[in-house]
Amino acid sequence: MTPAPTVPLVCYQILAAILFTIGVVGVLVRRSALIIFMSIELMLNAVNLSFVAFSRQHASMDGHIFVFFVMAVAAAEVAVGLAILVAIFRNRDTANVDDVRLLRG
Amino acid sequence: MLIPAFLFAMFAGIAIGCSLGVIFHRNPVHCALLLVGVLLSVSGLFILLNASFLAALQVLVYAGAIMVLFLFVLMLLNLKGENPLLTRGAAKGFGILFAIVVFVELLWTVLSPQMEGGMAASPTVPTGFGSPAAIGRVLYTVWLYPFEITSILLLIAVIGAVVLAKRKFG
Amino acid sequence: MDTAFLIESVIKVHIVLGFVLLVVPFIVWMERKVLGHMQDRIGPERVGPFGLLQTIADGIKLFMKEDLVPAQADKVVFILAPAITVVTALIATTVIPWGDTVTLFGRTIPLHIADVNVALLFVLATTSMGVYGVVLGGWASNSKYPLLGGLRSSAQMISYELAQGISLVSVVLLAGTLSLAQIARQQAHMWYVVPQFFGFAIYVISGIAETNRAPFDLPEAETELVAGFHTEYSSMKWAFYFLGEYANMMVVSGVAITVFLGGWNGPVLPPVAWFLIKLTAFLFFFIWLRATFPRLRYDQLMAFGWKVLLPASILNLVVTAIVVAL
Repeated sequence: MTPAPTVPLVCYQILAAILFTIGVVGVLVRRSALIIFMSIELMLNAVNLSFVAFSRQHASMDGHIFVFFVMAVAAAEVAVGLAILVAIFRNRDTANVDDVRLLRG
Repeated sequence: MLIPAFLFAMFAGIAIGCSLGVIFHRNPVHCALLLVGVLLSVSGLFILLNASFLAALQVLVYAGAIMVLFLFVLMLLNLKGENPLLTRGAAKGFGILFAIVVFVELLWTVLSPQMEGGMAASPTVPTGFGSPAAIGRVLYTVWLYPFEITSILLLIAVIGAVVLAKRKFG
Repeated sequence: MDTAFLIESVIKVHIVLGFVLLVVPFIVWMERKVLGHMQDRIGPERVGPFGLLQTIADGIKLFMKEDLVPAQADKVVFILAPAITVVTALIATTVIPWGDTVTLFGRTIPLHIADVNVALLFVLATTSMGVYGVVLGGWASNSKYPLLGGLRSSAQMISYELAQGISLVSVVLLAGTLSLAQIARQQAHMWYVVPQFFGFAIYVISGIAETNRAPFDLPEAETELVAGFHTEYSSMKWAFYFLGEYANMMVVSGVAITVFLGGWNGPVLPPVAWFLIKLTAFLFFFIWLRATFPRLRYDQLMAFGWKVLLPASILNLVVTAIVVAL
């Protein structure tokens, strides 16, 4: 049996909360589409950390499986999102989200 | 006793520092490299939590493939830092306020008494926890359908990315 | 963490690090001599007996050379890139077992620095981080040939990582473990190259492409994009790139030996000697390939990796899985 981790698992959850919040700030405050993508990746990683900590808490592998799927879906999302970004950039020569506003009322 | 706590503090410090750098740096390539730093420190935290397979997967998939994709797009589009850096005025204020609300809510949930009872006892786990064998045992039996659907999702993503980024001739 | 374990780990790290750093000049000499003889000339022979001190002389020259950083280059990333190449290659050497256990002072000491239960994944993960050294070096030089060379080289490395990983998975199916030490131990009677001959071939070819060696070295060839991603690098940073490339060659050889060629198993000599013999033979094979084959054009290279090698490795995996299940 592997003994309990010496750092209480609450610390991991608080760290995950901090990283998630920093990601939220990045998404809301930066204007470059790529940095927004990176902040989304930051949020996904915070969630992964939280899942793994909970999985360790309950000694269940289900948390690990969730993280596995989150990683796979994040890879798919990044591929498609960057392709969209490249297509937009080719048409408008800007990666600034404030400049892509034709559908705005 | 001391070494795991020191390692946790080191990885947590690197993760927070690099993530602040990601959202505040001007040069997008530096932001991407700092994000790689965050990913590597999260991988270290996974190892501290006995998730060895996920730690290797995090480096292999996230830091080694997804971020390389980011860097390729950055270099091919030759994106420089944007000017001004952050959103103007009221939107920035609302954004930070919302983030603070989210943070307080998360802390509230994590530190609440119901969670406290569950999280106070950190149990022992069987040896082989977090190993590839343990993940395989669960992935191909209980979670088989999501696994197959994820593989189709990845195929869709590949085809979609190729179609979207294709340069149309004429 | 008891002190005896710490001391033995530190000693092992010193041994492996010292070995890699000291053997790289020897490999450079061997390459120049062997290439020379295969090309019907002699190679270096004036500096020291048989030209053995040639690499040291070159090292001193590189040390004394002017260290240029291009004016518009991104200085932090420019200096970081060769460091990433070397560091990832050296980290990957920590899990390769170079011998069976030794008994000293009443302790059985396994001859690998770290016994990780996901050692094969660890090696794949660290070599995939090595892509950053190349792509960042190309970009940070702020010049068009290095950028193109860096992008081509890193695209090549990522493409061949897939075939490499899948060919290793076929062996994992046979071995039942990802730990390199266990895989080496299980080959006492039959090396895995015998059932997995195609997997071995696929792994070696993709390993050569991973390390940017001939015939897959278009991105760094001198007659092509000037010198690819390391055009703007001089003196010690350039030396670091080549140190990283040769260390990477040693890692790829080490993994191939451990997984396919029986690791340190062999009849009469001590295990470490067998490992060194196999390592030398593999490095000679790398050099032999460089002397023999013409360079592959970049589109031929990518087509080969995606359309031939990847399907072949997947087919190998499927056949292995069927045979194991029966």
